[in-house]
Amino acid sequence: MSELLDNKEAATKAVVDWMAKKSKTKTKFYFKDFYKVFPDDKPRLIKKVINKMVEEEVLEYWSSGSTTMYGLKGAGIQHSSEGEK
Amino acid sequence: MAKHETPLLDQLESGPWPSFVSDLKQQAEVRAKNEKGVEFQIPQDCVDDLLGVLELSYKHGRTHWKHGGIVGVFGYGGGVIGRYCDQPGLFPGVEHFHTMRVNQPAGKYYTTDYLKKLTELWDFRGSGVTNMHGATGDIVLLGTTTPQLEEIFWTLTHDYNQDLGGSGSNLRTPADCLGQSRCEYACYDTQALCHFLTNEYQDELHRPAFPYKFKFKFDACPNCCVASIARSDMSFIGTWRDNIRIDQDAVNKYVENDAAYPANAGAHKDRDWGLFDLEKEVLSLCPTKCMKFDNKKLSIDDANCTRCMHCINVMPRALKIGEDTGLSILCGAKAPILDGAQMGSLLVPFVKANPDNDYEEITEIIENVWDWWMEEGKNRERLGELIMRQGFQKLLEVTGIEAQPQHVAYPRTNPYIFWKEDEVTGGWERDVEEFRKHHLR
Amino acid sequence: MAFISTGYNPEKPMENRITDIGPRDYNEFYPPVIKNNKGKWSHHEILEPGVLVHVADSGDEVYTVRVGGCRLMSTSHINEICEIADKHCDGYVRFTTRNNIEFMVDSKDKVEPLKNDLASRKFDGGSFKFPIGGTGAGVTNIVHTQGWIHCHTPATDASGTVKATMDELFDDFQHMKLPAQLRVSMACCLNMCGAVHCSDIAILGYHRKPPMLDHEYLDKICEIPLAVAACPTAAIKPSKQKLADGTEVKSVAVKQERCMYCGNCYTMCPSMPLADTEGDGIVLMAGGKVSNRISDPKFSKVVVGFIPNEMPRWPSMTKTIRNIVNAYSNGANKYERLGDWAERIGWEKFFEACEIEFTHHLIDDFRQQAYMSWRQSTQFKF
Repeated sequence: MSELLDNKEAATKAVVDWMAKKSKTKTKFYFKDFYKVFPDDKPRLIKKVINKMVEEEVLEYWSSGSTTMYGLKGAGIQHSSEGEK
Repeated sequence: MAKHETPLLDQLESGPWPSFVSDLKQQAEVRAKNEKGVEFQIPQDCVDDLLGVLELSYKHGRTHWKHGGIVGVFGYGGGVIGRYCDQPGLFPGVEHFHTMRVNQPAGKYYTTDYLKKLTELWDFRGSGVTNMHGATGDIVLLGTTTPQLEEIFWTLTHDYNQDLGGSGSNLRTPADCLGQSRCEYACYDTQALCHFLTNEYQDELHRPAFPYKFKFKFDACPNCCVASIARSDMSFIGTWRDNIRIDQDAVNKYVENDAAYPANAGAHKDRDWGLFDLEKEVLSLCPTKCMKFDNKKLSIDDANCTRCMHCINVMPRALKIGEDTGLSILCGAKAPILDGAQMGSLLVPFVKANPDNDYEEITEIIENVWDWWMEEGKNRERLGELIMRQGFQKLLEVTGIEAQPQHVAYPRTNPYIFWKEDEVTGGWERDVEEFRKHHLR
Repeated sequence: MAFISTGYNPEKPMENRITDIGPRDYNEFYPPVIKNNKGKWSHHEILEPGVLVHVADSGDEVYTVRVGGCRLMSTSHINEICEIADKHCDGYVRFTTRNNIEFMVDSKDKVEPLKNDLASRKFDGGSFKFPIGGTGAGVTNIVHTQGWIHCHTPATDASGTVKATMDELFDDFQHMKLPAQLRVSMACCLNMCGAVHCSDIAILGYHRKPPMLDHEYLDKICEIPLAVAACPTAAIKPSKQKLADGTEVKSVAVKQERCMYCGNCYTMCPSMPLADTEGDGIVLMAGGKVSNRISDPKFSKVVVGFIPNEMPRWPSMTKTIRNIVNAYSNGANKYERLGDWAERIGWEKFFEACEIEFTHHLIDDFRQQAYMSWRQSTQFKF
């Protein structure tokens, strides 16, 4: 595991910063997009850390039913356009 | 009195096949009367409105539902599908009408105690409309509102010892045939393996991190009653590697057309196909022609048998699967979207299903496949498409499996082998000066 | 309708939360005769359509009565199933992969009362609640998807097309007079959340018009990059559009000839609806199978490119299916599946026998597998 992924605060910050930077154009990302934030880590390790961020309400899922994407909690317009607060 | 007129749907009440319209109408009435005194947590008339919106679709020839991706239960990326009606003014009872997938027990056996608890919960907190079962295998609960999702999940997990199934880029709820529980053809215990892997990979089932969906299905023999070979990224199909067991007396009962020995276990009883003819119905239909019947004795050249099941299906009292049983693993099956349909391709010709070591040989292969697919798979690329893109040889390489002729229907028809440098004597680095000593410029 | 809480606290979702417990253990749900004889079954026989006996090495027998069920099922109906199972089967029941319901009893004398009870139950509208059948060389229940009852991208209804088809094929559900089993499957759009591509007969909902674009609202409701990324054929690109009043808005443009009508964009973006009364309808496929018996598993082939949606009973579709089943029943050998029959007589003869017109739409032009389906031989029939 890379130092970045191992350090919870730094990892969270890296993810939040990366997503915030992209948020002008879109707010939902595939899991694979996180590989760019943690280029030195195995997907399975990244998964553990990312899912922790969901549990801590930093991130949330968006599902098309067949595929799932990740977003910063509350970001984007899906909540209002789907009529969920 | 029905809330909405449904003249088109009413025409689906006649005819012999069970009418879902009649069932929904009965359900609407049960909710309206509410003889059990249920404190409905979603609109009491939601089934009336469901009939109403369906009637409108029959009138328009178009759906009236929208997808929602936000809703779910906390911490899970799957198991809930958001649904919203696009005519909430007309049908307020189904304005928010989400689906929950509940992980069915392996083999789909139930006690009525369990089912009744489930219907009680679903009448209380949902529409009372279900799918028994969805295509993947889950119990599908059709129609509830957002605030009920966590409450239902709470009751399921705390009181029913029951978890949700998968959706999205997850391991989808695995499903199996009934296998050894009630079938003499079963070559391994599908329920045991299905249940074990479902529990072993709960994290993969609930927390999406795959490029796309991933399905396991378990067929206990090559008859493939759950269609694993056509619709699962990894299919586990029972087989054997020794000999078909023959009861010669029973074979002769079939030959003599003994009434207690109907061909194909009686599957053709309603039509007169004439007397059973072993030569015509078994020997000549055998795909490898590996059977002979001389002097009332059936012999099988088992080394040339491909275990298609035909002879066993036709004479189940006379022929039994072998005793050295296990399973084959095939990879990459999928429906046509996007690059066209694929059947599973044979990866592991034979492996034992061994619960005593937690199916170690099988989980190792699964995890190697997942590591490769998670690294290399593009977004929304199924395993079968990755195998097409990077090659079957790559699949062998990542799983550490030796190439065998069993892996192919026939060898390649082009010689364009992409040799690796270390496969060629001396490698690819050469001294052009040395070459020029013998070949002038 | 006061909200009743289980004790879940939305402020602290992780408090007392139970997760990752999986399904219930199947061992809890086996009827005793199943539990006692698991892995030790000797043989079975279909005694009559819908009624099976399995005999164990121990001599124990289990009699199964199989009935058709609607996959779309109410809790009232499930409770009635429970009532029957309590009365006859000691409180056990099972469902099959193809949405049938199996009632099991452990002795022969319990079969007739169970059958009579099941056969006597009808809905108010007149249809059977629990028709017995679905075994052997006949038609069993149709596996299907949601359709208009609950899906956002269907091109037809699922429960309705299935009801109409099963009414038409009902006699073959209750009898075993076909050459082999005939599996019918239904999926309401090309995404095939129920895989139908290896069925003897597949009913497939199909759209034929690219999505409409609600330019005025698109950028307000959808994230344009997601709509663009949703398209599997890369037919969508961001584009500035002028509304009727002259305002310029951000939206998307669709390269229509690239659209395969999958609806993935509509899933991401409700401003791109594609459902259409005339555009949507049915594709029929035939000749697939999943069993390895005699011949390899094979894909279904498209035999009718389009049949309009004819609510509520899809008569053109059911008539075509009837023709296929009749031609197969008359033409195939014992044990021969529909696809094996079609290959033996040749697909050119299949169309003749089934009275189906062959059109250019049935010649594959999609990606690499198309070539494999063209005829590279001088062997054909006139």
